[in-house]
Amino acid sequence: MKFQIPIGPQHPALKEPISLRMTVEGEIIRDADLRLGYNHRGLEKLAEQKTWIQNIYLTERICGICSHSHTTCYVQGVEKLMEIEPPKRGQYIRYLVSELERIHSHLLWLGVAGHEAGFDSFFMYTWRDREIVMDILEIISGNRVHYGINTIGGVRRDLDEQQVKHILDSLAILRQRSEYYQHLGTNEPSFVARLAGVGYLSREDAIALCAVGPTVRASGVPMDVRKDDPYGIYDEVPFEVCTAETCDVLGRTVVRIKELFQCYNIIEYLLKNLPTGPVAVRAPRRAKPNEVVSRYEAPRGENIHYIKSNGTDKPERLKVRAPTLGNYAATIKMLKNGFIADVPLIFAAIDPCICCAERAVALVDARSGQEKIISMNALKQLSRQVSAGNARKREAEWPL
Amino acid sequence: MATVKTLIYLIVYPGLLFLFLYSTFVEWYDRKLYARLQNRMGPTHTGRFGLLQPIADFFKLMAKEDIVPDRADRKMFSALPAVGLAIVFTAMLLLPVWNYSLDRPSVTSFNGDLIVLLYLLSLPTFIFFLAGWSSTNLFSTIGGARVLTMLFGYEVPLFLAVLSPAVLANSWRLAEIAAFYRQRPALALVNLLGFVIALICVQAKLERTPFDIPHAETEIVGGTFTEYSGKKLAIFRLMMDAEMVVAAGLLATVFLGGFPGGALLGLVNFIVKTLVVIFFLSLIRATTSRIRVDQVVSFAWKYLAPLAILQLLIVILVKGLLS
Amino acid sequence: MNDQIVIDKAKASLGDKALEITNPAPRRIFIRVKVDDLLAAVGWLRNEMGFTHLATISGVDLGQAFELIYHFANNFTCVNLRTEIPRDNPLLPSICEIIPGAILYERELQDMFGIVVQNIPDGRPLVLPDDWPAGNYPLRKDWKYERPPEVIPGGKK
Repeated sequence: MKFQIPIGPQHPALKEPISLRMTVEGEIIRDADLRLGYNHRGLEKLAEQKTWIQNIYLTERICGICSHSHTTCYVQGVEKLMEIEPPKRGQYIRYLVSELERIHSHLLWLGVAGHEAGFDSFFMYTWRDREIVMDILEIISGNRVHYGINTIGGVRRDLDEQQVKHILDSLAILRQRSEYYQHLGTNEPSFVARLAGVGYLSREDAIALCAVGPTVRASGVPMDVRKDDPYGIYDEVPFEVCTAETCDVLGRTVVRIKELFQCYNIIEYLLKNLPTGPVAVRAPRRAKPNEVVSRYEAPRGENIHYIKSNGTDKPERLKVRAPTLGNYAATIKMLKNGFIADVPLIFAAIDPCICCAERAVALVDARSGQEKIISMNALKQLSRQVSAGNARKREAEWPL
Repeated sequence: MATVKTLIYLIVYPGLLFLFLYSTFVEWYDRKLYARLQNRMGPTHTGRFGLLQPIADFFKLMAKEDIVPDRADRKMFSALPAVGLAIVFTAMLLLPVWNYSLDRPSVTSFNGDLIVLLYLLSLPTFIFFLAGWSSTNLFSTIGGARVLTMLFGYEVPLFLAVLSPAVLANSWRLAEIAAFYRQRPALALVNLLGFVIALICVQAKLERTPFDIPHAETEIVGGTFTEYSGKKLAIFRLMMDAEMVVAAGLLATVFLGGFPGGALLGLVNFIVKTLVVIFFLSLIRATTSRIRVDQVVSFAWKYLAPLAILQLLIVILVKGLLS
Repeated sequence: MNDQIVIDKAKASLGDKALEITNPAPRRIFIRVKVDDLLAAVGWLRNEMGFTHLATISGVDLGQAFELIYHFANNFTCVNLRTEIPRDNPLLPSICEIIPGAILYERELQDMFGIVVQNIPDGRPLVLPDDWPAGNYPLRKDWKYERPPEVIPGGKK
């Protein structure tokens, strides 16, 4: 017999609120339904009212883990609109921070996957190593998250010799530890038994449902924006696109670990070939009426910004499609006919960054006729009540 | 005199007070070992080396608000923790600590107390299931179902593994089994396979990784204990720690030769041998990840049960060779 | 293959359905079609040209009309398909039969702009809460949000 289980919006497995309503029979999921919208902040509408520079601040706060992806994608687009080209040194520093962000995001994901699988020791080890990367980022930019290093026309801070040496030394430690994780993550029997065969997404489904990032690369499709549509300096930097053939969560783990090694290689190349010169050029205040499509490979997949300008100093339209939104349709497909025990793992395997995926209009809405403000919390509770009303009725009978 | 001794036996050692203090010590030991294996500190500040941390946790939980869900059966919901604790304390009394020597047998040592102890140790599993059932919460019900599913897996290998040394020692009485292995320590090696199987099954009984599916925090919120809070949760946690002590004591008695030496030396023996067993249990916990409930059952029936039967055959062979 | 080949094939296959083809930057091609030819163009892009990956669907409020841009990508170029629908009759055919992954983007368009997508498999609101007053389409240019005066419960007015 079937009954419905709600996972979320509040659940220990989820780092951000999202509501997943699953119809289960015993331990097997028959159907899944995804409800979004708990984390809206009205970014696209807000971006139309702020200037180009203020929007860098805004796009950075779309997400914490992939903050640099959003700013870089935005700034790349705006630079094309304003027809300015940032200097080489600025670009090298910008993409150095991109690769550092990719490392820390993948290490975070490895820890989260370990935690969802119950392997807490793995979680503690990978997050200990993530501290090394966070220290590097703090030395470069002053912050552990939200580095604020991009500006239109280049970057805001420069690197000196001591920082470069520190980064290269830390890379050696990280490389050694990542080899240990590669061995552990693929050979530890209970961990592999937990991950193998879970969340199967065939190659055809991955392509048809427009999945992005490591999710689609683990199904054997070599789709990577850095190779397909090279932006910045990626046509000069040598690296490989990492794929796996197993199409399940184990494949996604392997893809991310392989990408860690690619990141180390890219960072070494960037640091050894760092050109001299200025780090930024001056940007004009206004942009001519034009439109641009900017794509970027964030740690979670393809990030796409569509920016349209109308000649003033504010954008006409900023459309952001974060990578996690592209993976939702594939998640529903993966959940069907899986076990309940696998839900957090499947969901974590697409590396959900739900606050990236939600940015529409402000939810703070005054009901017509009433003068009180409904805070975000109250609105969340309200929408939960209305949407969870059905589930509550089902709990009124004994479940078995 | 005898009543005073019995009262001390029941309340102080190895009764309530000792069990309370020792189970909190064992929880500290487990948490500290787990943390150090993960390159963390573990409990550090409360008391010297964080020794008072589990006691502090217990008292903190006792002071928290105690909520009984609306639709739950109030009496059963509230009675279950107390019943569980009573069961585990009774099981503790059966272990041959203190009143040990065979020429002055205590009232709690009788022929067949091994079976009674095993039975009392399998009751907490039903208590967990009933706790989940009477919570009328979806997650608790799933947790309760998982507890019972796991019971189908590990109970049979555990019984077989623990009964093998008893078969070799020719007795169902814990005190006699321990005495037998102390007189002939070489024969304890015959039961090595059984020891390993019993360690794995005890890990499953105590619901620790890799078998902590019933209260897997990331999947079903709290499992069977989702709705428990305040005093009831404090008593459940104490019950789980005491269950660990009793299970470790059982393994130490049957496989490692018991706790000879009267009051003081017996206490030292008890602490040392149970800590050795718990060391292995913590090691397993820190180095594996959680496996699914169907994988537990298939693992138990494909590997553990045949190996336990093999252990029994070995014991019978050795017994035949000896006589 | 590069951009020029795609442009030539577009001119050859779509003929005068493609109203305007521009190539403002390397690997960016913009093709404008009428909304009635949308399904045919999407089918051509997917089946004959191999553009299976739909990145997103952007909606822009142009005042008198809504402009929809479908961003397709493959591993050597990006094709952006542009179409317009009138503001007072915002009907759009769904492309979910050709590309199943477009469902979430179309649901978002329905919520944010009030565009009615025909034949959509699952038309529930995606991002707006369930008690959102109907008729409020936040991303339209004329929808302004007036922040009401803050009332502190129990405090002074």
